[in-house]
Amino acid sequence: MKLLWFHLMPYPELPADFREKHRSVWVDLDSNLLDPDIVAQSYDTYLDQLVFAEEADFDGLCVNEHHSNGYGLMPSPNLMASIIANRTSRAAVVVLGNSVALYNPPTRVAEEMAMLDLLSKGRLVSGFPVGTPMDTAYAYGANPGTLRAKYREAIDLIMEAWTNPEPFAFNGQFTQQRWVNIWPRPMQQPHPPVWIPGGGSVETWDICAERDFVYAALSYYGHLVGKESMDGFWRTVEEAGKDDNPYRAGFLQFVGVADTDAEAYRLYKEPAEYFFARSLHFYPGFVDPPGYSTEASVRAKLASSVRAAAMTTQATGGPSWDEMLERGYVIIGSPDTVREKLEHIAKTLHVGHLMTLLQFGNMDDELARRNTELFGQKVLPGLKGLWSDYEDHWWPSNAR
Amino acid sequence: MPADRHVIYLPSIAGDPGSSPALAVLEAQGWTIVRPQLPGFDGESGFDCPNDYLGWLTALWDAVDATGTGPCPVIGPSVGGMLAADLAALRPEMVTKLAVLAPFGIFDPAHPGLDPYSVPTANRLEPLFENGVPEPFTGRFADKGEVEAPVARYLSDIAAASLLWPIGDRGLADRLHRIRCPRLVLWGAQDQINPVGTAGRWGDHTRIENAGHLLEWDQPDAVAAELSNFLAPA
Repeated sequence: MKLLWFHLMPYPELPADFREKHRSVWVDLDSNLLDPDIVAQSYDTYLDQLVFAEEADFDGLCVNEHHSNGYGLMPSPNLMASIIANRTSRAAVVVLGNSVALYNPPTRVAEEMAMLDLLSKGRLVSGFPVGTPMDTAYAYGANPGTLRAKYREAIDLIMEAWTNPEPFAFNGQFTQQRWVNIWPRPMQQPHPPVWIPGGGSVETWDICAERDFVYAALSYYGHLVGKESMDGFWRTVEEAGKDDNPYRAGFLQFVGVADTDAEAYRLYKEPAEYFFARSLHFYPGFVDPPGYSTEASVRAKLASSVRAAAMTTQATGGPSWDEMLERGYVIIGSPDTVREKLEHIAKTLHVGHLMTLLQFGNMDDELARRNTELFGQKVLPGLKGLWSDYEDHWWPSNAR
Repeated sequence: MPADRHVIYLPSIAGDPGSSPALAVLEAQGWTIVRPQLPGFDGESGFDCPNDYLGWLTALWDAVDATGTGPCPVIGPSVGGMLAADLAALRPEMVTKLAVLAPFGIFDPAHPGLDPYSVPTANRLEPLFENGVPEPFTGRFADKGEVEAPVARYLSDIAAASLLWPIGDRGLADRLHRIRCPRLVLWGAQDQINPVGTAGRWGDHTRIENAGHLLEWDQPDAVAAELSNFLAPA
């Protein structure tokens, strides 16, 4: 199994009364709350943590894209990935942005991914999320009724820009170019692995199954509700007649490791509460722009426990610490406890790429590094051998 | 179809749940309300959004032509007002009189109003009215049952949202000069989502007091009186 270290790069000093005084951490977040010095310092700290994660033997380092958002300070993950590419030498550089429908022309994404692949010497994973409603429809003004069609077309353009050796004309519904001929081209041939971050949309399962992309399930609500999403994906894979290689899938999980279960319970309570009460405090009016979800997904969502969990979190002021643990939002404990739980999760969900969030909320640098170190030394070795009878076809050719 | 007592009516941001009391007055006066079947506004399955505004105008032309009506007066509230104005501007031979009610199509940064799509889904109808949400809107799709009703409600919002996203401006200000037929512009004084401050961009207009965005439902008598006078032969 591949173990990845995922950084959201949260703003770490939202006030304690944030939930009471502000309606959303996303879209209309109050700019008066932002201290540029804190952001600048956080960037340094967070980038150092990602480099440290490679030293701690993680296989991949993940960044992603959010806009007008207080828990993700990366409107451009590519900027962060370029630094990571330069400061590391072995780990995969996993960019789980770009939301390709937002860029005009999407050719720019093809170019920047090619640059990152070269900067990392062939260690890039290129992620193509649709993007959340908050990021795309509200913060960027993208029309939700046409977003998915534009997204699919953008992927077509990028894939051809990477793989067609000749200059070509692209005649799309949303993008037209007489000359597409990117320079430079990716180091990995025919192209870097493509992963699609998703939150349970039926269409995302479809495109992953059809095109042999990795489905990277990014839910903050843990493996118990995540199983619903992963089961849906694996059903789709089976229906498409594809094999059940676990490396077709990735899953995101909050993790906190300490010397003992009791110590983990004490250490990770505050950062988890910060994340779920403040970082995940968003206004329900920014969730459902008409047209963002297809008819099939609307039906699925109405019955979805992932959505129910999200809406309950919003309505109730965030889950309690014990509820987070009980529901599996956060996996904590001694190394043995965590390893045992993560192995169970990986097997239950049938995932070959486990993306761990070992810094979350307002977790300070010392604890984030301790978490990472303990995981790397005492958890990771016991998990790496999982799925050794499968080959990972979706891993960058020059990452170890 | 003879057009002399026909009037084309286009849907609002909340679709067209049936004749408002104001339209009922017109019908009682002998007007036949003709409703072109614009795609998506009915909440039925299988709707694909046109890729751009030209696609929408093409759909509008097709829907209007399919009615066999016209030339005749056209009434458009809200997003339907924007479409009606473009029909009058770009196909002037089809529109003998244009009545628009709080039309979108021109966004004034000085009067941005409430983003109707930043209201939680369950409450999205409320800011459209000053005097409560009328039953034809609350009860729309109820016959579809508990499971399908929310799906239909969601689907019925897609068409208008795609026309209005993100700020409901389709460059209409640059085409208003092409409208040469008589024009009536009515606006709810308490419109939260398309504030009456924008009305000046449309030229002469009439404020309807104690009315929100869908003013024909909030003040049917006042709106019916204005429409009747406007539509009456000279």
